[in-house]
Amino acid sequence: MGSSAAHQLKQLKPLYQHVVNNFVAVLAAPLAVAAVVNAARVGPDELLGRLQALRAVHVFLAVFVAAAAATLYVMLRPRSVYLVDYACFRTRPNCRVPFATFLEHAKLVTFVEGASIDERSVRFMTRLLERSGLGEETCLPPAHHYIPPYRNMEASRAEVELVIFSAIDDLLAKTGISPNAIDILVVNCSLFAPIPSFTDMIIHRYGMRPDIRNVHLSGMGCSAGLISVGLAKNFLQVAPKGAHALVVSTETITPNYYVGKERAMLLPNCLFRMGGAAVLLSTSRARARFRLARVVRTLTGAQDSAYRCVFQEEDGEGHRGINLSKDLMTIAGDALKANITAIGPLVLPASEQLLFALSFIARRVVNRHVKPYLPDFRTAFEHFCIHAGGRAVIDELQRSLGLSDQDVEASRMALHRFGNTSSSSVWYELAYIEAKGRMRRGDRVWMIGFGSGFKCNSAAWECIAPARTAEGPWAESISRYPVDIPEVLKH
Amino acid sequence: MVFEQEQEEVTPGAVHGYRLSTVVPSSVTGEVDYALADADLAFKLHYLRGVYYYPPGDVARGLATKVLKDPMFPWLDDYFPVAGRVRRAEKDAEAAADGAPRRPYIKCNDCGVRIVEAKCDRDMDEWLRDDAPDRLRQLCYDKVLGPELFFSPLLYVQITNFKCGGLALGFSWAHLIGDVPSAVTCFNKWAQILSGKKPEATVLTPLNKPLQGQSPAAAPRSVKQVGPIEDHWLVPAGRDMACYSFHVSETVLKKLQQQQGRHAAAAGTFELVSALVWQTVAKIRGGDVDTVTVVRTGAAARSGKSLANEMTVGYVASAGSSPAKTDVAELAALLTKNVVDETAAVAAFQGDVLVYGGANLTLVDMEQVDVYALEIKGLRPVHVEYGMDGVGEEGAVLVQPDADGRGRLVTAVLPRDEIDSLRAALGSALQVA
Repeated sequence: MGSSAAHQLKQLKPLYQHVVNNFVAVLAAPLAVAAVVNAARVGPDELLGRLQALRAVHVFLAVFVAAAAATLYVMLRPRSVYLVDYACFRTRPNCRVPFATFLEHAKLVTFVEGASIDERSVRFMTRLLERSGLGEETCLPPAHHYIPPYRNMEASRAEVELVIFSAIDDLLAKTGISPNAIDILVVNCSLFAPIPSFTDMIIHRYGMRPDIRNVHLSGMGCSAGLISVGLAKNFLQVAPKGAHALVVSTETITPNYYVGKERAMLLPNCLFRMGGAAVLLSTSRARARFRLARVVRTLTGAQDSAYRCVFQEEDGEGHRGINLSKDLMTIAGDALKANITAIGPLVLPASEQLLFALSFIARRVVNRHVKPYLPDFRTAFEHFCIHAGGRAVIDELQRSLGLSDQDVEASRMALHRFGNTSSSSVWYELAYIEAKGRMRRGDRVWMIGFGSGFKCNSAAWECIAPARTAEGPWAESISRYPVDIPEVLKH
Repeated sequence: MVFEQEQEEVTPGAVHGYRLSTVVPSSVTGEVDYALADADLAFKLHYLRGVYYYPPGDVARGLATKVLKDPMFPWLDDYFPVAGRVRRAEKDAEAAADGAPRRPYIKCNDCGVRIVEAKCDRDMDEWLRDDAPDRLRQLCYDKVLGPELFFSPLLYVQITNFKCGGLALGFSWAHLIGDVPSAVTCFNKWAQILSGKKPEATVLTPLNKPLQGQSPAAAPRSVKQVGPIEDHWLVPAGRDMACYSFHVSETVLKKLQQQQGRHAAAAGTFELVSALVWQTVAKIRGGDVDTVTVVRTGAAARSGKSLANEMTVGYVASAGSSPAKTDVAELAALLTKNVVDETAAVAAFQGDVLVYGGANLTLVDMEQVDVYALEIKGLRPVHVEYGMDGVGEEGAVLVQPDADGRGRLVTAVLPRDEIDSLRAALGSALQVA
């Protein structure tokens, strides 16, 4: 097609969108006009006569049935769930790990008895770090500042307490809510599941009520944050009206330092960093800041390749680590497609859905080689929080969704400043967008999480009120962002 | 994977249970390189080892490792070169035709400072009373720069907990990055941050530049040329060196001053004390200590930079007679008046040199260094001793103030087999008249 034709099409697009998205109005308007014209033609006296001819019972029934249907519809609708506020763990300078320190420690661990990591592994990790998109301010727990790192339970618990207690303290201060007003507690942490659970730790520390509903989700991967939100949403449907649910997402790094030399298992050492977030959800709209529109979960674990994609196992020498398969990107792409297919119809405006359906039909019926239409999700969302799994993941998603650099800026900057904080990374990204002052009332946010399984989960939020204060994990660093991240950070 | 367990039998009373960790600057320093001055490079083969002893009690009990470590993060923001690592200049920058190793500099990559935690199952009093030679080495992590410069920290801080609750802080400082006054000021600033005070600003400008002048053909008399040194910055002395500290009380000082006679009022305490040790060492060695190298703080000549090697280096030759037979007073007079200053020549010399104990017995003046100012939460150290590593066979003698400032503490770094003789020979001289 000529470029002028394409240009004309582009100009027609907004008109097309208005027409299709307001289809009902577009249809109803001429009908209403026709009805008014018709009524005018019939004449007011004639109309009155016809009305009086109607029997009272019929009128009553008509009104009653309509009212009953409407009431039933309203009652059976799921309750709206709102986000009252959220707080991310604010990293401490005494947990900071610059690249040089990380690599020096890895080098020194090669001398430790029992560790298999060797020179080649250290060089490999150097190359990984240089291309990872991480910055020099990411944090590791205090136990990992030792050579060799502590990986025992006591150190792991210390990290957990540091991260989640400070996040929850911040959240309680922000929302002004008291711990015994919390009815539901959901915590997710994949790689560390002590007895008693994290939820018991929190209940013990904050003195929560004995009838609180608590669940700890472990082993659910990096997308578990959105799974927890989904679970809390379901709990809130059956809890008393106005109940509060506290959702805590974190990942414990301490027990998971890999000391072997399998390359596929060294990557998590380089990318995973300390982080956590605490989120307060409620069915009461009072003081709420976001409304949870949708949670869509997609699992592809039925396929072998997806199942084995992110796999925790022991390597040939018995060192435990997380094995990332080479086709991670392809599998992530497929999982994303599955999730888009599920969430698209729920969030996309009719105009995009129609185009997608037409393109789908064209591919099936007319010609296989017609390019599939990529729905423009920017018509459905203003902000995107893509799990900062790694530079490659963010690049791949940007490409798959056709997003601009500014759309994925939050993800890239969160990766740079905090590293891959697993399930809480989407919250750090939301905090970035708010810290930059880009959130407005009515803005819609799409959070996408990926994780082992292979899962792709989405949550769609709508903003009711932007952040009131500048407090948060970005408070000290936001003025330095956005940062230009070089392809290779030469070391 | 095993860690945190005693690997082998622990000698009773020895320091054990070493745990290493790292402390980094709290904010990103950025792509900064710290150039080393020629004077810095002259001292690169030496390592300062200082130990501070804190008495047991409530304050010491409250000094958990975290309490000691947390102020180090902002401290290193100010002293970021100390958290860097040594690198060599890129090939094209230094077109050294003679194939000499490329000029080292410090890459300020925030790699950090190493912290060592250790335990000792003895009481601190007992430890101090024992007066064991080379106890310094157990309380200061004795690593040097190299063999991999890339991964060698410039500073180690060892925190040793004694059974009685006493605490020893051992600093291992690469002389390359700064001289004794720089190091002590640096440590004092950390203690000030710990105690909640805001220390003076750190001055790291003007930037160091290589000297343009001609290098002297031969090494100056004060130092000994060694090497060429590749990447392991330690010249092993042919003999096993040990540090031994002893106290020179105020009374003994007064006696020495009275004995000056015709050289009355000429010599200061440093000259008197080091003259005494010079004479003693000459006696032990039976002569051959005719020249000594003298390294002094030279407060007047300091530029005010927080990290610099600005100590004056010179030598003194005993005219004619053997020092073993010369009066302490006469030797002291020589040390006062006849020092030949070679500071500039030492810095300009391009080869690798040993300053301390290289060419001659080296006398180090630490009188003006305020070592007892390292107060942790108001707790003053009961004892401080400073020794040196990387000292050549000729040995070194460091003279510093003692706890109350009136006496002197002397640390002699000598071949191990000379220590006993030194003890014996000094024994009588240090007795109160």
